Amino acid sequence: MNTSQTGDIFSKDDAAILEEVMNLAFGKASADLAEVIDIRILLNVPRVEIMKADRLFLRIKEETKEYGSVSIIEQNFWGKYTGSAILAFPSTAGKGLLSLFDDDVNVGEEEAPLLEKESLLEVGNILIGACVSKVAELLEDIVSFSPPRLLPRVVINNLSSETISPKLDDPGKSAILIKTVFHFEDKDIKGFLFLIANQNSMG
Amino acid sequence: MINKILIVDDSPVSRAIIKKCLPTGRNFDLFEAGDGKEGLEKFKEIRPDVTLLDLTMPVMDGFEALEEIKKVDSNALVIVLTADIQQKTVDKVMALGAVTVAPKPPSAEKIEQALTKAESLLSK
Repeated sequence: MNTSQTGDIFSKDDAAILEEVMNLAFGKASADLAEVIDIRILLNVPRVEIMKADRLFLRIKEETKEYGSVSIIEQNFWGKYTGSAILAFPSTAGKGLLSLFDDDVNVGEEEAPLLEKESLLEVGNILIGACVSKVAELLEDIVSFSPPRLLPRVVINNLSSETISPKLDDPGKSAILIKTVFHFEDKDIKGFLFLIANQNSMG
Repeated sequence: MINKILIVDDSPVSRAIIKKCLPTGRNFDLFEAGDGKEGLEKFKEIRPDVTLLDLTMPVMDGFEALEEIKKVDSNALVIVLTADIQQKTVDKVMALGAVTVAPKPPSAEKIEQALTKAESLLSK
């Protein structure tokens, strides 16, 4: 846990509470997902940081550089607090995620690429929805969601604010970054969830 | 008795999961739509006994679709399935007239419970 840079947005106690809420939210989403796909999801302790918006993409690059390229599911949310959720899987994860639904979907070779994308989007929608919803409740807010958007096979070195959400790349603003790493047991699929919210909306 | 079910969800994977969760041994006539606008059109066309509706969709979201469906038929039975699990969202769609709300991904048990609730309203 790293709450040393939480600045004037959250106290250390607030950050600890937020991390615990994230733990609970992600645990609930994971449990529901496991019920359908019959696989256990292992979670790391969430980490909360405050940083300048123009540092966010560098941090995401640092965290995911070992994969070379990633598939990103991005979903924007807005309410009293506004921002983006970014779920990053290694580019090779699409087939693995589709295999989670093997019993549910009969896949022909032609359909596989499309269904891989749809699997990424659906897993992203479920995990992001659960986590952001719980954070919103903590802040006594209600947020609306955009439909999830998939950015397939983004080369990490090419990742920039323009790749994801230009509006967050205002270097004059600070943002809160919440990161969780998760791992689908037995499938060797690891992913990163980043929640990014503008400072103004969190004050 | 529920015969016709309309599934409105932009994700084909989600629609496949929902279909898998429907009670076995029942011969439902299933219809699908990929967004709220298409769902509304199909609702008008087929008049399903129950509509299973996602909220976060392109073109027309589930909130608007639910409102429009209720304008067409105030007795329409709509079950909302969503990854947006905020209590205020649940309150909002219930106020709009949903039968119930179930979190995504749905389980067979949750779908059956929701259909049972809808069926009890259908028989009234």
